[in-house]
Amino acid sequence: MKILLMGHPNVGKSAVFNRLTGANVIESNYPGTTVDYTKGYMRMRGEDITVVDVPGTFSLEPKDKAEEVAVKMLEEERDAVVICIIDSSKIERGLYLTLEIMERGYPVMLALNMWDVAEDKNVDIDVEKLRKVLGIPVIPTVAISGEGIGELIRKIKEARAVEVDKIIKKAGGIDETNR
Amino acid sequence: MREKLPEMRYEEKGVVKMIEGGLQERVAGMGIRVGKEIKMLTKQPMKGPVVVIVDDTRTSLGLKIAEKIIVEVKK
Repeated sequence: MKILLMGHPNVGKSAVFNRLTGANVIESNYPGTTVDYTKGYMRMRGEDITVVDVPGTFSLEPKDKAEEVAVKMLEEERDAVVICIIDSSKIERGLYLTLEIMERGYPVMLALNMWDVAEDKNVDIDVEKLRKVLGIPVIPTVAISGEGIGELIRKIKEARAVEVDKIIKKAGGIDETNR
Repeated sequence: MREKLPEMRYEEKGVVKMIEGGLQERVAGMGIRVGKEIKMLTKQPMKGPVVVIVDDTRTSLGLKIAEKIIVEVKK
């Protein structure tokens, strides 16, 4: 089993990565570029799981080398589970990436990281509703202190692919993207 | 009043009304979409990028891209 950690730059992907894998880490250079990514392993119920810390990307429409690598890595791992990591205080833009990944049919779960920062900024998130609308596990986390990481690991098996059309319906059917 | 994003004045706020074709996806990842409130922060000289605030986050946009975003400026 392979897990890809994806999200915007500076949302704590690497902090989550370190929490999941400990110090057992291999740093690699993606062939042909100068963009680094890290790969590590964790053990869950006797199963070895590869965890990949994908370079941060704002969307799946690459604008630079690092984003190109991120998109390529996603495309090469058709059967990977994706943990989307979001800065809870800037949830909307993060959800855009999450939906883009779900649109491509990957099993996804959502880590609302930097939960403490969101609380400081008085950002209130209805996690239960988000779970219902998205149909995937949604877990508030604070990666630097380790809060929520246990639950994140427990819920990995519940990550699933959901059709975006269903999410739009559950969200009230409002499509503001004027496509 | 509708105008192109780079025509906004400093500290002015507006709402995104239109994003020219093909560009929606490119700027959506940065949190810019139709209906979103946007605030002009700075415009760099020499045809440099414009810096705006969307969702409490600073985002810089190349002038060419910014010109394709139409905003309704709040009075």
